[in-house]
Amino acid sequence: MTPEVGHFALALALAMALVQSVLPILGATRGNVLWMQSARWSALGQVGFVGIAFAALMQAFVTSDFTVTNVFENSHSLKPMLFKIAGTWGSHEGSLLLWVFILTVFGAAVSVFGSNIPDALKARTLSVQAWISVGFLTFMLFTSNPFDRLYPPPPNGQDLNPLLQDVGLAMHPPLLYFGYVGFSIVFSFAVAALLEGRVDAAWARWVRPWTLAAWMSLTAGIALGSWWAYYELGWGGWWFWDPVENVSFMPWLMGTALLHSAIVTEKRGAFKSWTILLAILTFSLSLLGTFIVRSGLLTSVHAFAVDPERGLYILGLLALSIGGSLALFSWRAPMMEPGGLFKPVSREAGLLVNNLILATATGVVLFGTLYPLFYEAITGGEKLSVGPPFFNAAFIPMMLPLVFVMGLGPYLSWKRADLAGVLQRLRFVAVLSVLATLAVWYLTQGGPVLGYLAIMIAVWLLLATVREWMMRVRLFEVSFAESTRRVKSLPRAAHGMSLAHAGLAVAMLGFTGSSVWKSEEIVFVTPGEAVTIAGFNVTFEGADRVRGANYFADRANLTVRRDGEILTQLYPERRTYPVAGSNTTESAIRSTLAGDLYASIAEPASKEVGASGAWTLRILYEPLVNFIWIGSAMLVLGGGLSLSDRRLRVGVPRRRIALSLSKVPAE
Amino acid sequence: MIWSLFAVLSLVATILMGMPLLRRRQEVLASSNATPAVLLDQLDELNRDLDRGVISAAEAQAAEQELKQRILSEARKPESSKVRSVEDGRVALLLSAILVPVLALSYYAFNGSPEVSGIAFAKRTAERQEAAKIADLTDELSEKLASDPQGGPSEGWMLLGQTYSRMGRFVDAANAFNTVAKRPEANSAVFSMMAEALINEEQGVVTPRAEAAIDSAINLDPANPAAIFYKATALSQRGELRKAHDLLVARLDNADGFHPWMQSFLAEANRIGVEIGKAPLSMASFAPMPTDLGPTGEDIANAQDMTEEDRQAFIRSMVDRLATRLEDEPNDLDGWMRLGNAFSVLGDTSSAVNAFERAETLLLNVPESDQRRSVVANALSGLR
Repeated sequence: MTPEVGHFALALALAMALVQSVLPILGATRGNVLWMQSARWSALGQVGFVGIAFAALMQAFVTSDFTVTNVFENSHSLKPMLFKIAGTWGSHEGSLLLWVFILTVFGAAVSVFGSNIPDALKARTLSVQAWISVGFLTFMLFTSNPFDRLYPPPPNGQDLNPLLQDVGLAMHPPLLYFGYVGFSIVFSFAVAALLEGRVDAAWARWVRPWTLAAWMSLTAGIALGSWWAYYELGWGGWWFWDPVENVSFMPWLMGTALLHSAIVTEKRGAFKSWTILLAILTFSLSLLGTFIVRSGLLTSVHAFAVDPERGLYILGLLALSIGGSLALFSWRAPMMEPGGLFKPVSREAGLLVNNLILATATGVVLFGTLYPLFYEAITGGEKLSVGPPFFNAAFIPMMLPLVFVMGLGPYLSWKRADLAGVLQRLRFVAVLSVLATLAVWYLTQGGPVLGYLAIMIAVWLLLATVREWMMRVRLFEVSFAESTRRVKSLPRAAHGMSLAHAGLAVAMLGFTGSSVWKSEEIVFVTPGEAVTIAGFNVTFEGADRVRGANYFADRANLTVRRDGEILTQLYPERRTYPVAGSNTTESAIRSTLAGDLYASIAEPASKEVGASGAWTLRILYEPLVNFIWIGSAMLVLGGGLSLSDRRLRVGVPRRRIALSLSKVPAE
Repeated sequence: MIWSLFAVLSLVATILMGMPLLRRRQEVLASSNATPAVLLDQLDELNRDLDRGVISAAEAQAAEQELKQRILSEARKPESSKVRSVEDGRVALLLSAILVPVLALSYYAFNGSPEVSGIAFAKRTAERQEAAKIADLTDELSEKLASDPQGGPSEGWMLLGQTYSRMGRFVDAANAFNTVAKRPEANSAVFSMMAEALINEEQGVVTPRAEAAIDSAINLDPANPAAIFYKATALSQRGELRKAHDLLVARLDNADGFHPWMQSFLAEANRIGVEIGKAPLSMASFAPMPTDLGPTGEDIANAQDMTEEDRQAFIRSMVDRLATRLEDEPNDLDGWMRLGNAFSVLGDTSSAVNAFERAETLLLNVPESDQRRSVVANALSGLR
């Protein structure tokens, strides 16, 4: 019965979304308060009903109710409980339901927390949000219903994929989706502003918290996905420029540009159309990501053509939303009031450079991701892969100037900045960055120039950011108590910026260290044999067969020494799950801040070596790799700190406006 | 129960949509122009920038002046006061509130499955025990047959093959049937069952090995419906659609009265017919349509998984159900014939004779040429 309640609740949500997509926006045009206010309640109703549907599906997964086709295909009674729950959003249908659920959560959040947003703008925004709801709810109910039933129920479920039974992976889609879908509300705000024909400082400020929330989730989602790949896949890599990764990275790049462009719109009234365009493009890229992953296009263009119903539907949705919003943009954007003027050296100009580079970088990733698909479609099935060499060559050189300007940006004042003065302030930072690079060069004794350059720029950003923060709180310039007072009185958004910028610098050290100075050995070893890597001596003591809850494993016993001293034992495993009939690699890692010693065990190698008990062993040393996760966490925390800024949450009390206005002298 | 839940959900949806009507005092509209507040906030920030020395005093003063001008010009913009009377649009809102459940219910009426109840895995222990028991018994039987020095009785192997087929272990099933197929007593059914297992294993594709089995089955019994059906499948998979169609129709023409297999024949013939432009056929041209198809597929599946005593009792209950129904619909000729057959299978001769006699009286109203006359006459002569 519960699945049917979920199904019916989805139908109610669709009906409400239909009403919400028409009534409030009509109300806003005609000045009808009742119709505008209906958006508040229908947005709440939608989240409630989609929530009921989501809970119903989760209940079916938790109790392994195989009368629900989706549960039968994507679960198994023997799965651990956590993964039964995660199975709710593991499948195509379930992930769509999660997608729509988050969409309605954001709609409801705007209606509840957006009390400072004018009713007309709010009504239009919620109507646009409802258009997206209608699109996805109909897609789900008519092509991918999670509540399709199966009777009589089969004896047990079909899916017990051990590789996917990982906590990081279970949490990955919800975070990623929060990011993707969070940008929907920014999109809705942008379309509403275009319809209203008004973009001002207040609009930019209302949009900022939503952009920040979405950006934080997306950052966390991407970092978590990369962390999972690093620990679980056993290859020791954290980013593969895989299309699935790229489609989440593109909205992130665009969203980062949007975050900064919105500041200029808020502070200077400039970049209005650009901010709107970025809002539209960011969400369009999120939709594109959903489409590419969900339509099966990635596996093969051919597979898409064989069963095109879902793909065509979502392609139509994509064309309608992106094409429609861009058409609206080209019609309305020229009517925007122009913003304040600025000089080539100013904070505006710095942010413009940031935006241009981020947009170009997004274009590069988009090209590299879509090119193989077009190639396959045009040539009629020939496969082509655009891999890391392309992205490394095209993407990284663009990021270095961006990060360099990032160090400068916060020192520049609005409108017109004094570049000489800024460089004067930063001369110590520059000298220190060069010294740090020389130190790295001395330690590593060899490596590509680009690697050293990246280290130098990362250190530059880190130090410049720290120095800027010190200036703000006047650390060591005034008494410590005074500095503490300044730390407290500084808006949280300012702390957030510093933390996030420093986070990127830290992560960049990690990216560079772990990819440029990575050492790797793949060797056949017999018991007692040792491998030397990056100053570590790793001895293979032998491998045993061990048993786990639902698997058995070959477990290697490795002794790690440095300078003859035993540091630790590592036990990498190669697990076999008999029920699922598959293998997984459980790497063993000695993790320190300086770097990870990463060991995994692959196939037995007795035949190759000609001795019994021989195995293929893979040992990697990745310097600074943990800086990636630390830096990512700093990025997310920085975003959170900004988001918690009182100004973004509550706006400015009305009474104070009245008082302050009376103080403004008349012209 | 489920409909009352739907009613509650619908009511909640309607009330939510109608909420703006229920609230007596309208909320004050948030100011449509909040820009001055944001700009004022920027004045504060300007002072902070001045304080930490990012900008000079002169720059700060110029920026302050500019901000104040922007604040004033924003404040002078007319507030949009296009707010109409609240009374407007009440009807439209009310209609939308009612529309929501109506839309949802009309969608659900076409796409919902209210009759299917959910079953948690934990509540299906009985079913699993039964399945485990059958699996154990099957393994036991398999071992017993394999260790038999005489090779095991053919009936045993056939039972094993059928059980494996039902469990979805088609390779094992085909092997079991194949054991019997090599023996001199192998009949047509052995080969067609083997072919079926082989085809199921390949997800419906007729392999050469399966087709060889089909041909053997047809050699032994040219009328074997299963063998003919799969032969047609093989032909249609090779693209010989016309031949396949003719084969199916020919067998239907030769049928003596209605048999359940004829429906799959008809469906397959019509499916092929669409592709080669043949008009659709109906069962009436081959046999009178039965009103009751007897036990459902589910019933049969249940019966197959039972112990012998249970199966007898089950069949008995099915037969009683049919008999009860026929008391209410005494003119169902086919029903009486099936009841007679069922009783004779159960060994209840007198009841069987009674049923066939009822059929015989009904046969007085059908034309002389109807084949059912001879079927009933034969059955009665056999029983008496």
